[in-house]
Amino acid sequence: MRNPITAAALALLLTAPVFAGTAADDIHVMDPWAREVPPNMKTSAGFLTMMNKGSVDHKLVAAESPATGMVELHTHINDNGVMRMRPVKEMPIPAGGKTELKPGGLHLMLMKLKQPLKAGEKMPITLIFEDGSKKEIQAEVRRFDMMMKHDMKHDMHMKHDMQMKH
Amino acid sequence: MKRLLWLLALVIAGAGSWFLLSDRGGEIPYPGMGGDFTLQSVQGPVSLSDFRGKVVLIYFGYTSCPDICPTSLGALSAALKRLSPQEMERIQPIFISVDPERDTPQKMVEYVHYFHPKMIGLTGSLEQLKEIAGRYGAYFRKAEVEGSTLGYAVDHSSVIYIVNEQGVLVDMIHHSGSPKVILEHIRKALQGTS
Repeated sequence: MRNPITAAALALLLTAPVFAGTAADDIHVMDPWAREVPPNMKTSAGFLTMMNKGSVDHKLVAAESPATGMVELHTHINDNGVMRMRPVKEMPIPAGGKTELKPGGLHLMLMKLKQPLKAGEKMPITLIFEDGSKKEIQAEVRRFDMMMKHDMKHDMHMKHDMQMKH
Repeated sequence: MKRLLWLLALVIAGAGSWFLLSDRGGEIPYPGMGGDFTLQSVQGPVSLSDFRGKVVLIYFGYTSCPDICPTSLGALSAALKRLSPQEMERIQPIFISVDPERDTPQKMVEYVHYFHPKMIGLTGSLEQLKEIAGRYGAYFRKAEVEGSTLGYAVDHSSVIYIVNEQGVLVDMIHHSGSPKVILEHIRKALQGTS
């Protein structure tokens, strides 16, 4: 530690993480899942919710997965009932806020699947943020009728609520 | 002029609600829309008129559609599974691909069967598809997607069209209808009360 420059650099390196965590540290991912695909289909979609626990805004800028040849960030624009699917450059996640990827909206477009996605399997996906930090997640592969369970639960809650009111 | 427009809007709205509220037994709910068509299935040509006596459920989409089509077809499938075998006997689900460049009748077989064993996949020439979609009020357009390995997407409306046992378009279920909502619409068509 005779060299003051080395010492200063080392000190900076040690303290830097305290001042600013990476985007990957700030972003918490909830309920990541991917859609099972019909036989021979090479394209699917992935969904998740990203919560930003940090104090600065972050952006998801890319994603990749060893199970696909390509992952793109896409959104759907509902233009008077016409669904227009378009790539987006980034998905902002505001400080203290959350960004939801869900059917009919923002999604990870999983392209050139190397093998069919089967319900119950886990699919590794790496999220890449604006500062280059990465977060690996395991998306659960779900079949369409597994998603519908939410709908049935919803129906049951509705009935329950109605009974409560009487 | 503005007042006149408002008055006109009111008159139209009034006529519309009268139309919706009135008992329209025997009337055609979507005059000038829908009608017969013939397209190609893996087993040869199929016409809508082949299914007189059945309630036909029609969805326009494309198989490389990763989200919108599987969501709608999945909800439709879940609704169909809640029907009794007797009710299902009177139903014919049809998926029409508006992407004939990538979807062949052969390729569609496994796709439609994934959602329901009774569902059939049809397609045809772009001209035929445009003409039929136009009559049903379905929109689709090939959209080049810049900077995507997808090449192109197909912008499309996401609606389940219900044709009654006489071949008349009687109902439309717009995107994001839950299985419960879809089931209600199907049962109405089966009872002839759409």
